Amino acid sequence: MKRSITTRLVAMFALGALITLSLIGAALYGVLERELTRDQDDDLNTNLQNMRYSIERFGDLEHWARMQTKMDTLSPADGSVRFWVLSDDPRFLYGKGLDEMERVNQGEAGHGMLTMPISGHTYRTLSMRIAAFADRPPVRLIVGVDTAPFEHTLRAFLIALTLLTLGAVALVMALGWWIARIGLRPLQRLSLEARALRPKTLSQRLQEDRLPVELEDLTVAFNGALGRLEEAYQQLEGFNADVAHELRTPLANMIGGTQVALSRPRSAAEFEDTLQSNLEELERLRSIVNDMLFLARADQGEAATGLTAADVAHEVEMTIEFFEPLLDETGTTVAIEGELRAKATMNVALFRRALSNLLQNAIEHSAPGASLVVTITQRTGALWIAVTNPGATVAPTHLPRLFDRFYRVDSSRHDAGDVHGHGLGLAIVKAVASMHGGATLATSDAGLTTIGFSVAAA
Amino acid sequence: MKLLIVEDEPKTAEYLQKGLTEQGCAVDVAHNGVDGQHLALVHDYDVIVLDAMLPGIDGFTLLRALRQVKQTPVIMLTARDSIEDRVRGLHDGADDYLVKPFSFLELLARLQALQRRGRAQEPTQLKIANLQIDLIARKAWRGSERIDLSAKEFALLAVLARRQGEILSKTAIAELVWDMNFDSNTNVVEVAIKRLRAKVDNAFSPKLLHTIRGMGYVMEAREQADVDEEPAT
Repeated sequence: MKRSITTRLVAMFALGALITLSLIGAALYGVLERELTRDQDDDLNTNLQNMRYSIERFGDLEHWARMQTKMDTLSPADGSVRFWVLSDDPRFLYGKGLDEMERVNQGEAGHGMLTMPISGHTYRTLSMRIAAFADRPPVRLIVGVDTAPFEHTLRAFLIALTLLTLGAVALVMALGWWIARIGLRPLQRLSLEARALRPKTLSQRLQEDRLPVELEDLTVAFNGALGRLEEAYQQLEGFNADVAHELRTPLANMIGGTQVALSRPRSAAEFEDTLQSNLEELERLRSIVNDMLFLARADQGEAATGLTAADVAHEVEMTIEFFEPLLDETGTTVAIEGELRAKATMNVALFRRALSNLLQNAIEHSAPGASLVVTITQRTGALWIAVTNPGATVAPTHLPRLFDRFYRVDSSRHDAGDVHGHGLGLAIVKAVASMHGGATLATSDAGLTTIGFSVAAA
Repeated sequence: MKLLIVEDEPKTAEYLQKGLTEQGCAVDVAHNGVDGQHLALVHDYDVIVLDAMLPGIDGFTLLRALRQVKQTPVIMLTARDSIEDRVRGLHDGADDYLVKPFSFLELLARLQALQRRGRAQEPTQLKIANLQIDLIARKAWRGSERIDLSAKEFALLAVLARRQGEILSKTAIAELVWDMNFDSNTNVVEVAIKRLRAKVDNAFSPKLLHTIRGMGYVMEAREQADVDEEPAT
């Protein structure tokens, strides 16, 4: 069964109320019991002192008879207070059920409890020894107070307390349910709002202003997630459009070229030419598909495998060496700066691929004869490799999006004869970085553009 | 070279058979795992090209069954570009693998590499028409004239000359010469070829370094001068 917040709240309220009331009840019960006991003790003490005073002073039988009368008078008919006098001399005995008394109460002076074996009454007692005087031998005076009223009061109190507690708990539960319902109302409203969200209405957000503080965090977080989702969704839609656009050109070239070739009788050489042209377009398509597959794998969070501890500067040199024919051709020079002794754990082929994309990008976007710089920087937790090239400054709005697939700062640049790239080069750099637990950076200022990536340091 | 192709996709099987037959191979084709296993076990092939996903018996099962009997070299074709597949294929005894979609040139290169594997030592001298290459001294001559080449230019020339008559794609060249193991989307190889051609071919005859449009480059002595030879790009 699903857990309901209301049920949980009610249960917790009830438990809280039960614990609180029980503690209060226990305390009250304790206080009452102690007060009642003290009351009884006072009673006992008063009676005992009273009788002791009378008994102590006289030692003859005449007075003893008067004592008995006094004790009779002091003993109420309901037996709530009783006196006993125990003595070796049978003349100085007093009290009901003395046989029993002698059997059960051999104890010393002081407080005690006593259960009359026949009547079953329990008495709280106070006894003392009174020394012999004149004819009278030493006697033991015992005063008892029946505990039945005391226990009755306590029992009645306990029952009342239990009933009140249960009633209060029930009331708290009812109130708690009501409070929970009211308290959770904003949540209900929120879920109604959330239910109304559709892909078509992705720009919609949950209202934050009318919500309680506790829900605000959740709503803000949720709205943040919606924002990212919307961005990703739009990017995906844009991406699909870009892919379609990117694939459309080679496809149209092939279809058109083939149709033209087939529409007239042609020589073998002409057909060969058409096929070669088609092959070029197909190679282009294959390259796009391969790159997109690569990006998709990186998107799925695939980490780089085949990691080796590599000498970063050496790998940079090897990659620059690959570009040497092109660099020679354009008179471009490349310098390596920074920490030339740095080592990193990485997949060398992926590293070279990313760096070669950066170099290709830098060469494409700088004039012939430019000086490029590859900088290796070691920072905490990451090793950065960046390529700086002189060239037109890239507007800050474009910088974060340079690594997006098919993103072009200047859409006309693509058509200006950039036959090698298909707008995935920097996206691949980003993918390689993320496969190595790294990140990317792009800055452009005062005619110098730096684009780089990092790999997590070993 | 006697080949067996086990491939269920009819178009792929057809162009592979045609292409490889034209390269001078004797090619048998099986369209499912059961036929493939039968042929592989009954005949002795130089290389078997084996698709991983097959109806009947899949490629990995076939490979295991084959390896219990013989050690025919096998190139696996796998559509799933995942590491596990590669590991699985190589673990099961495949000698090489290609991820679909692969290029025909790539397959050809792998087949030739497998065939070369068993061959005796590489020659130390290469000769194509009047081009002479000393692989030990790392020197090259056209006729009697010494050609001055940088280290990488020599490596490029050697790669092309060793695979005389074999078309090499730009990707393959980048990998063999610079160890750049990926589609680089750059015209580096074109430029490098152009510069090599300027040194090795431009001032001499016959022309040896040919561009095959859309596919790559080949080094060979041709009967007549190429009419449609592309200008250097």
